[in-house]
Amino acid sequence: MDNEVYTFAVKNTLNEIRNICPEITGTFMFREDGEIIAGDNTTSEKIMVRVVDSLDSIFEKSDAIGEVDCITFEGGKGRLKIFRVNDAYLVTASSEKADMKYVDTVTHVLVPTILKLLEKICSTPLQNSSQKEIEPKFDMDEEMNKPSEELIKETAMKKLEEDAEPEMESEIKPEASLPELPVNQLIVENLGGLLVPSDTVRIDNEILTQWANLYEDSKIEEVEIGTFDGKTTRCKVKPIKDSKYEGKGIIQMPEKVQLALEIKKGELVRASPIIGGGG
Amino acid sequence: MVKKKRSFSEPEFATLAEPVATEEAMPESSLRANLEEIKTSDGVIGYILRNSSSAAIDLKDPTKIIDYAILSSSALDSSVELSELFDLGDVKNIVVEGKDAKVLSLMVGENKISVFLEKGADCEKILRKLH
Repeated sequence: MDNEVYTFAVKNTLNEIRNICPEITGTFMFREDGEIIAGDNTTSEKIMVRVVDSLDSIFEKSDAIGEVDCITFEGGKGRLKIFRVNDAYLVTASSEKADMKYVDTVTHVLVPTILKLLEKICSTPLQNSSQKEIEPKFDMDEEMNKPSEELIKETAMKKLEEDAEPEMESEIKPEASLPELPVNQLIVENLGGLLVPSDTVRIDNEILTQWANLYEDSKIEEVEIGTFDGKTTRCKVKPIKDSKYEGKGIIQMPEKVQLALEIKKGELVRASPIIGGGG
Repeated sequence: MVKKKRSFSEPEFATLAEPVATEEAMPESSLRANLEEIKTSDGVIGYILRNSSSAAIDLKDPTKIIDYAILSSSALDSSVELSELFDLGDVKNIVVEGKDAKVLSLMVGENKISVFLEKGADCEKILRKLH
């Protein structure tokens, strides 16, 4: 599971790099042992394998100059750069028109940052597939919390009284108060435009539906977003409109929210629904 | 493939011959003189110059000749394949940077050149002298 998230994040990063620098004609990453981590959408696996094979002969014979840090190839129509990032290598092919300083800045900053971030995330338990993990917890929690069921009921009742929602009073399922809030890790994408409210983020409709299904009667209207540096904020949430961002684990975020969390496009955040806000 | 070449008409041969002649801009002797000068520069460990008929090797540490020769040959061979894979055009040069040193390999006409440098040395300076 960790590997899937890692690969997914790297792939997205590489695609974003290509978006930022259209002169990059292909990019991918592989580990020291030759295992391919991920590539952008346009670079085929066949090409990646052949490149790694070709570079292998250089790596094998590099004892005379020490472990390879970087390889730069210059051709008549473009360049290829392979540089080391921790225990992996990033391959970037670019056309002759590319501003290499810009390409280098983007790749040398973005990729190591994402990898560092991923290392941090992967060292902590991932809760990305929240639904699958939480469902079995219902039973476990029920059993473990049996003695404190009354206490939970009491707190749930207090909350409900505070919220003063008579409709919800009728059916208080102890199960509903027991599950932990699902947490999804999402990649930040900019959200801009004239009519975009600055306090609303957009998340995949699929995720919102999953959350809503977990808490039958609740409508998810707000989310709590947390960074890996510990900063959190509450925002209104709506489903993603742009189909190109659907199903990619993306959270579209206005600049104001990004500033509040001190994060930027491409970084990872944790998002969890706020239940019972209701409006 | 050979048969196809034979079937070329004479004018086609004439047009093909011209660029080959211009590629021989820097003769081997001149290249060698340049490399000798480069070798005295700061941070240069040595060089290997080879073509189909001869080879010249000048390295500060002769015990590493074989290692360096194999590495330079691999770098140039790989560069041809990498160029094909990403459609990068004719090979201009390839720089392999290691933790301790780096190697700059390029082809000038038929001559394959590899210059070995210390980690911090300036490759651009060397390239300018060789073109």
